[in-house]
Amino acid sequence: MNPDTTDARVIPMISQLVPVKPEDIKPEHRLREDLGMDSVASMELLSMLAEELELDVGVEDVADVHTVGATIELAKKFLAQKAA
Amino acid sequence: MTPADSLGGAVNGPAPGQVLVLGSAGFLGLNLVDALLANGITPRCGRRKRTNVLALRQRRVPMVHVDLDSPEELAAAMAGVDVVFHLAGHYPKFSLDAAAALKTGLGQLDRVLDAAAATGVRRLIYVSSTATVAPAAHGPSTEVDVYPEAPGFGTYHDLKWHMERRAARESRLEVITACPGACLGPWDLRVATSAMLVALGRGLEVPHPDGIVSWVDARDVAEGLVRLGRLPKAPHRVLLSAGSMSLQSMLELAGTHYGVKPSRPMPAAEAIAFADAEEARAHAEGGRAALARELVDLIVHGVPLDSTLARATLGLVFRPLEDTLAAFDEWARRVRILPPIAQPSPQEVQS
Repeated sequence: MNPDTTDARVIPMISQLVPVKPEDIKPEHRLREDLGMDSVASMELLSMLAEELELDVGVEDVADVHTVGATIELAKKFLAQKAA
Repeated sequence: MTPADSLGGAVNGPAPGQVLVLGSAGFLGLNLVDALLANGITPRCGRRKRTNVLALRQRRVPMVHVDLDSPEELAAAMAGVDVVFHLAGHYPKFSLDAAAALKTGLGQLDRVLDAAAATGVRRLIYVSSTATVAPAAHGPSTEVDVYPEAPGFGTYHDLKWHMERRAARESRLEVITACPGACLGPWDLRVATSAMLVALGRGLEVPHPDGIVSWVDARDVAEGLVRLGRLPKAPHRVLLSAGSMSLQSMLELAGTHYGVKPSRPMPAAEAIAFADAEEARAHAEGGRAALARELVDLIVHGVPLDSTLARATLGLVFRPLEDTLAAFDEWARRVRILPPIAQPSPQEVQS
């Protein structure tokens, strides 16, 4: 998958988990404070991401992911690793 | 040689055929998957459609979608399975609606047992709770101590009692009930039993009543379950606990790890009222209760347990609490459930 389309894949996933429209979700949004995700939901998001994009993301890798932008960056990083 | 093989006669039964773990993505489930893999058994891992499977993916085990409300999915997951580990018994998020919890819990258990019977599962190991363990007439409670009827302490206790009774009455296949104590250790990703440890580690107030807590390392429970799956002839009910002590003593011991002193315990009635109010608030606003009602009930009505049967028939040697707390701490810092310990700077090291 082209990394440029990562945003378009990640943001609808987030929208499935929180009552916010995709167009209203911004990279600077914090998963907990701004989007209302608890720790379980944010882990579920990153798990969905790993499954959907077939990425080898571990629990330790997602520990410091707290924003939409960081989620997208994580996906891009692992997509690049996968492509290498 | 696997860990079970090394024990010789007591648990040297043949490895089971295909194994299915229901609840494999959870705290005990992940520890059980690790224990099965260490024993040379690759399980089929049942998981809900929407759950955190990062840790399961890391283990590269086969996964299958299972909704316990779907007889079709259960039957498909159990096709060709010899032994089922059922770790997905209903655990209501709140204790506010006892009737709904009972309906869900018993309905799901019925569907699991029906599917197991229909697909020819030989043995099902049902993971229950020490909430079903009644006080003994003298000394610590053993496997024979079961409340004669639902104890009426709260939603969780009654639900677990009814579910365990249903499991015990199953006649179409062999059902073994395991009752682990308060499980501690790595992989409590949802921070359930470990919530008080995490709060202590973060220097937060830990509201709690006092009572008897029977702790056990989740890795020992997992090894015990594997052995229950292998024993040619297994007991019908097994208590799994490393030891029993007051919660206040346990928190004070844990507090020494974090350099904090836990607050004094609340009286039981006050703790129940506080937990009920917290659950109502969390239900209305979202989030978690600062103190869960089932936790209060488990602590207030906790009884000391005797795990002689598990030690004798399964050959289990339970880890000491200090080892469990240290393992939890190391894991929790690695996955940032607790903040990492600051490393000294090169200047500090030199000085």
